[in-house]
Amino acid sequence: MILPILLLLPLLAAAGAGAWRGDPRAVARGSAVTSGAGFLLSLALAGQVLREEVVGFGRGDFLRADGLSAVLILVVSMVAWISLTCGEGTLRRARDRKELDDAHLRRYYLLTNLFLFTMLLSVTANNVGVMWVAVEATTITTAFLIGLEDSREALEASWKYILIGSVGIALAFVGTVLGYFDFVQRVGETSHSLNWSVLAGVADRLNGDVLRIAFVFVLVGYGTKAGLAPMHTWLPDAHSEAPAPTSSMMSGALLVVALYAILRWKVVVDACVGSVFTDRLLILTGTLSVAVAAILLVRQVSYKRMLAYSSVEHVGLMCVGAGLGPLGTLAALLHMIGHGAGKSFLFLLSGNIREAYGSTRIASVRGLLRARPWTGGLFLAGTLALLGLPPFSLFVSEVMIFRAGFLAGHPAVTAFLILLTLVIFVFFLGYVNRMLYGRPPAEVPAAPESRPLELLPLAVNLAVLLAAGIVVPAPLLRLLRLAAGVIHP
Amino acid sequence: MDPAYFTPLCTLTSSLVLLAGIAILWRHSLPAYIDSFARQSFFFVLVILAVAATTGTRELYIVAAMVFVLKVVVIPRLLHRVRRTVGADLEIHPYVNVPFSLAIAGALTLVSYVVAAPVMALSDLPTRASIPLALAVIFVGLFIVVSRRSALTQIVGFLVMENGIALLAVLATYGIPLIVELGVFLDVLLGFLVMLVFVHRIRETFDTTDVDRLRKLRQ
Amino acid sequence: MLGWLLEAAQCLLTLAAAPGAIGLVRWIKARLQGRRGAPLWQPYLDLRRLFRQEVIIAPSTSWIFRAAPAVLFGCMIVVSLLVPMLAAPLPLDGAGDLVVVVYLLLLGTFVLSLAGLDPGSAFGGMGSSREMTIASLAEPTVALAIFGLGVTAGSTNLGQIVARTLENPARVLSAGHLMAFAALYIVMLAETGRLPVDNPATHLELTMIHEAMVLEYSGRYLALIEWASWMKFFIFLSLLSNLFLPAGVAATLTPAALAVSLAVLLAKILILAVSVAILETQVAKLRLFRVPELLSVSFLLALLAVTSSVLVR
Repeated sequence: MILPILLLLPLLAAAGAGAWRGDPRAVARGSAVTSGAGFLLSLALAGQVLREEVVGFGRGDFLRADGLSAVLILVVSMVAWISLTCGEGTLRRARDRKELDDAHLRRYYLLTNLFLFTMLLSVTANNVGVMWVAVEATTITTAFLIGLEDSREALEASWKYILIGSVGIALAFVGTVLGYFDFVQRVGETSHSLNWSVLAGVADRLNGDVLRIAFVFVLVGYGTKAGLAPMHTWLPDAHSEAPAPTSSMMSGALLVVALYAILRWKVVVDACVGSVFTDRLLILTGTLSVAVAAILLVRQVSYKRMLAYSSVEHVGLMCVGAGLGPLGTLAALLHMIGHGAGKSFLFLLSGNIREAYGSTRIASVRGLLRARPWTGGLFLAGTLALLGLPPFSLFVSEVMIFRAGFLAGHPAVTAFLILLTLVIFVFFLGYVNRMLYGRPPAEVPAAPESRPLELLPLAVNLAVLLAAGIVVPAPLLRLLRLAAGVIHP
Repeated sequence: MDPAYFTPLCTLTSSLVLLAGIAILWRHSLPAYIDSFARQSFFFVLVILAVAATTGTRELYIVAAMVFVLKVVVIPRLLHRVRRTVGADLEIHPYVNVPFSLAIAGALTLVSYVVAAPVMALSDLPTRASIPLALAVIFVGLFIVVSRRSALTQIVGFLVMENGIALLAVLATYGIPLIVELGVFLDVLLGFLVMLVFVHRIRETFDTTDVDRLRKLRQ
Repeated sequence: MLGWLLEAAQCLLTLAAAPGAIGLVRWIKARLQGRRGAPLWQPYLDLRRLFRQEVIIAPSTSWIFRAAPAVLFGCMIVVSLLVPMLAAPLPLDGAGDLVVVVYLLLLGTFVLSLAGLDPGSAFGGMGSSREMTIASLAEPTVALAIFGLGVTAGSTNLGQIVARTLENPARVLSAGHLMAFAALYIVMLAETGRLPVDNPATHLELTMIHEAMVLEYSGRYLALIEWASWMKFFIFLSLLSNLFLPAGVAATLTPAALAVSLAVLLAKILILAVSVAILETQVAKLRLFRVPELLSVSFLLALLAVTSSVLVR
């Protein structure tokens, strides 16, 4: 029963936001409550999956949650709850400053809840086609979110986003059709021929050449949504122009949902032709993404764009990890959790920074630690976490990925990745230091920090990052092993 | 329908679908693009009807009706209306000029024959000879999106891609399960409407629909 | 023996009927434009007049100027012997196939372009350069379009192509066949100087191509050149009709079959000539920099014809 309730909650919140005509604060609180309930339910679901291995619902298991889905549901619910709770303050203050009006705010909560619903549907749908429909729906819901404020840059970003995203998704559909064709030709038409469980079961009977072509289309198509290079060009614009809570949800959750779709197809293709083909492609694409992110990050002018390129880097690392066998996949999944926690953390804080300093340029931000000690301190902590420093969990997952790289016999690539990560470390931290230290400019009002209650959910992020960094909790490790086992049986 | 006529008829109508898509690379004015898309969708409906008549699948008749209403009537009308409001009529200086675009379209067709070779080898349906043509339509649509400057032309290119994918589904598997088909339709329609809204906003903000002007975020 | 007579008959047919075909096109255009127009046999009268006219040659020309009309005329006569008009296969099939025909046609174009440059006048050079631009884009299309047919027929010999297509009539309606027809039709318009590529009735500097090259010619030279260009038109029409719809072409050399073949050929050419006339009244002349676009379309059509018939084996 958990699965349908999990999906219903954001729908209810969206319906409420759509129908409500009064003060948006009520809608905001409602969304915070439903997303919090959703997060708790995702934890319960994870527990259920640990006990039963697969949880299904509906005729022919229309909704299906195995280990992999459970991990993603965790990430998505966590990021959504934190973004909706912490972001509420930022948006409310934007409305008070007359940058947004009530209608905007209501639209924001309507679209965000629909966005959450479509993401959850993508990772729980058993049918390949329904998954595709849900991922396309995420593009549609987020397009308006990115363009929420009517500036020229926001419009440019949202146009690029929706065009490139739709084209990418269309290519993913070509891959889906080819996979379905392969199935029908080799196995024949059945009533649930597009279900994962069915496809994975008969994969050894399918034609390898066609599946390989299908996987290439799927990788390019869903890779566009995941921000893998060279299809990433929309990402820096979209993630930097969107309001901070939306950026955090997109970076933390949407990118990994797209990666999930690629991994699902990987299972089917690997069962047919072995994992060498997909592994090679994933390592190549992932390394390219990290390289592109490193090259472009060194000359960033805006801290939000810098965070966006950092997302490209981390998704690239996850992609490489997924191509490095069971250990690498485990690491990649742990990385998803850590990145979700860390990136949403930083994006939400960046929203506060922008409020205080009025600009997203790195050069405009000085003396953050003096002007806003809590925000600055947390931002520094988040940066260190994101750059893969101990005792945070991203350190553990990155080291695991590199170790998996050496073990799988790719020393050169792994060394190259380590070098790129170092480059990003140096420049990212350099820019952040410039923002943190020094004297704050005179125009920055010495306003009080955001109410501590608002920053409290961020403590959850930190807790997650720390906990999994010091020692991965046993249930989580079991869940990750289960999920990795789905991809590498 | 007699199978002996079915394959050549299928190849002929699929070629017409491809040619209508390539016509977009040849013409210069936006009304011509929209009409070419409408014509392409019409030829696509003919393909679906041919397949439906030969296989006797009732679902395909419904799909043909949906495609006709949506892509031959509704979407072109909406596009024309937006075009008139937005005032964009000519595609001046596309990123790639016409003869070169046509040469690339020829190259893309050859590539799609190569890519589709395993698919054709696996298929035992009489429609398999036209599968590369469907892939070529997809690539040509992608090329239109990439090489043209006007936002509306990019939308037309996206729609041509969708036509190609739907054609591939019909030729390779005689259509996909109806519920997925409906979902896909809805998604495409919604995506299209969202894009139209954005074209309006772009026009209001930038006073042009030339996406080359949207360059403030280039880094 | 009969075969050689047949070849001679084809040549004479081309010589005799070509001015008539052009006269027909002009007459239909005139009627469609609401004029009475010159009579159908006006081109014959023109030829007679030109042959009796005095020849004036500019002093700045060389032997190329005087040799070109003869070479061009000779090329057209040889091509008329190689193209299957009345029967297929022909006795001279061994001498020439698709490649030879394309080469001869191009040789004629080349020689005429040289002759346009020879007097050193501005118009001549301009016409030659324009003609070469068009020819360089159109010739590969001719080769590719007929090559597509040749691959399915298993030979580039024109007679063989027609014979094989006769054996397999269902092939006529295949996508590759129709696309090759469309490609060759567009190329025919380009090569023979019809609208929308070139206006055969204009003498404005902005729009002349063929007329510009022959501007310096007079008398019997002009007669030969005009006749040769009309023969080119007739040859292209007969290529279009017999390669793509060979029904009626005589397979055996009996008088009855040949009579039927002649009648059917003339009927097909009549229909095509009427279509050209109607097309010319409907479209406007393309600006010169748009002509490569049109020819690219025809090249792409020929390419698609080849891929759809070759790569689907």
